[in-house]
Amino acid sequence: MASGIATGFARRPLAALGLTGLAMAAFGAGQPAAAQSVDDILGRKKLQVGILVDLPPFGVVNASGGYEGYDVDVAKLMAKYLGVELELVPVTGPNRIPYLLTSKVDVLVAIFGITPERARQVQFSIPYSSIDIVLMAPKDSKIANAADLRALKVGVARASTQDTAISAAVPPGTRIMRFDDDATTSQALLSGQIDAIGVNTITGRQIQTMNPTAGYEIKFALRHQPNGITVRRGQTDLLQWTNTFVYFIKNNGELDAICQKWLGVPLPELPVF
Amino acid sequence: MRAFGINEALFIIAAVRWTLLLSLLAFIGGGIAGLLVALARTAPPAWLRRVAAGYIQVFQGTPLLMQLFLVFFGANLFGANVAPITSAAIALTLNGAAFLGEIWRGCIQAIPTGQWEAATALGMRHLPRMRYVILPQAGKLAIAPTVGFLVLLLKSTSLASIIGFVEVTRAGQIINNVTFRPFLVFGIVAAIYFVLCWPLSLLSQRLEQRFGTVSR
Repeated sequence: MASGIATGFARRPLAALGLTGLAMAAFGAGQPAAAQSVDDILGRKKLQVGILVDLPPFGVVNASGGYEGYDVDVAKLMAKYLGVELELVPVTGPNRIPYLLTSKVDVLVAIFGITPERARQVQFSIPYSSIDIVLMAPKDSKIANAADLRALKVGVARASTQDTAISAAVPPGTRIMRFDDDATTSQALLSGQIDAIGVNTITGRQIQTMNPTAGYEIKFALRHQPNGITVRRGQTDLLQWTNTFVYFIKNNGELDAICQKWLGVPLPELPVF
Repeated sequence: MRAFGINEALFIIAAVRWTLLLSLLAFIGGGIAGLLVALARTAPPAWLRRVAAGYIQVFQGTPLLMQLFLVFFGANLFGANVAPITSAAIALTLNGAAFLGEIWRGCIQAIPTGQWEAATALGMRHLPRMRYVILPQAGKLAIAPTVGFLVLLLKSTSLASIIGFVEVTRAGQIINNVTFRPFLVFGIVAAIYFVLCWPLSLLSQRLEQRFGTVSR
């Protein structure tokens, strides 16, 4: 009766190898199942937009359980100008590229910082928003530049632009601690598990209000990050429409109104490419 | 940033139904598939036992997180666009089948040899022997560990948050990111899991006292 156990165990390495292969196929190849054009979206009468729902004020769950924020408003405008229905799909920082590449969404409006590394996998529109990534630490810590971070623990949200920026800036010997999101990273700073945090200025202000006595301050700026609406590679048609859309709402004041509403400041100068 | 109020608490509590639904789907799917695995694992043909053992090894030997990821994003490579809840249910079913199959295999093999031999002596072939003699006794043995596994399964549904399925844990993460009150938020999340799991643990203990022994 028990003879099956021993023989079964020997097959494990092969099976594990097969699973690894599948995993590599899932992430390495990343070819979309079906290319989508503007016509496909118009024909389907629905635009699926991936948004972050855990980064106020860009994307957040409101009191009634719906989604709202800067990105949500931009997504709504996008659907309005396409003349189709909008479906918001909540994604997270680490899983947004897989969501896009596996065609689970048409576009991402997800505070996605434009970088050449990411552009190897996805295509960005011209910027529609921007945030500043800074390093914050308690007032009494003596950090003046990235070199001072040696032997310190710096926290960042995993797979975010602050992750990339911190990883590139710090000297060897710095311990980078990666958390799932900004709230968790902030908590690690507040509870003293990390010495400094790489964070955008909006979340940074929230950290300051959460603990005014600790006196967290911005030590230095890391990166100015313009964000693009993101489509799969090769979707030139959709990308062209998206660029036209961003260009248009920048000029007619609608994007400025969204910026005023959520960030309380006029739309900053956004570069184009 | 927002204060933690009644709406925030309700958002988390409302997500309980998704945790329960996912647990239920995974338990039903895992139970059916697990029974097949257990039967294959104790079947006379050696190749069938080896296939079942290989299956168990793959799914017990790889993280559930990876299985969730592969089912959710992997399905698209084959042109299928599956919803987060469907792929979470599939991954948890595949995973649950491996664990339940192994638990039930143990229960089947715990039935004393005398019972097998007596059934064979009555002229029963493998299937009737399982159906009328072994499984009814093994089923009694299996009740307690199965309910115990249900506790594990319920908690592992929290991993579905990785693919964006908004169950209790993901709801907690979302609320934490607006309120920045992790101790409160995850305290509530943990309390919810406890309220769900504790009665199951108690039930498992009681069932074990009642059914946990074989008459030899």
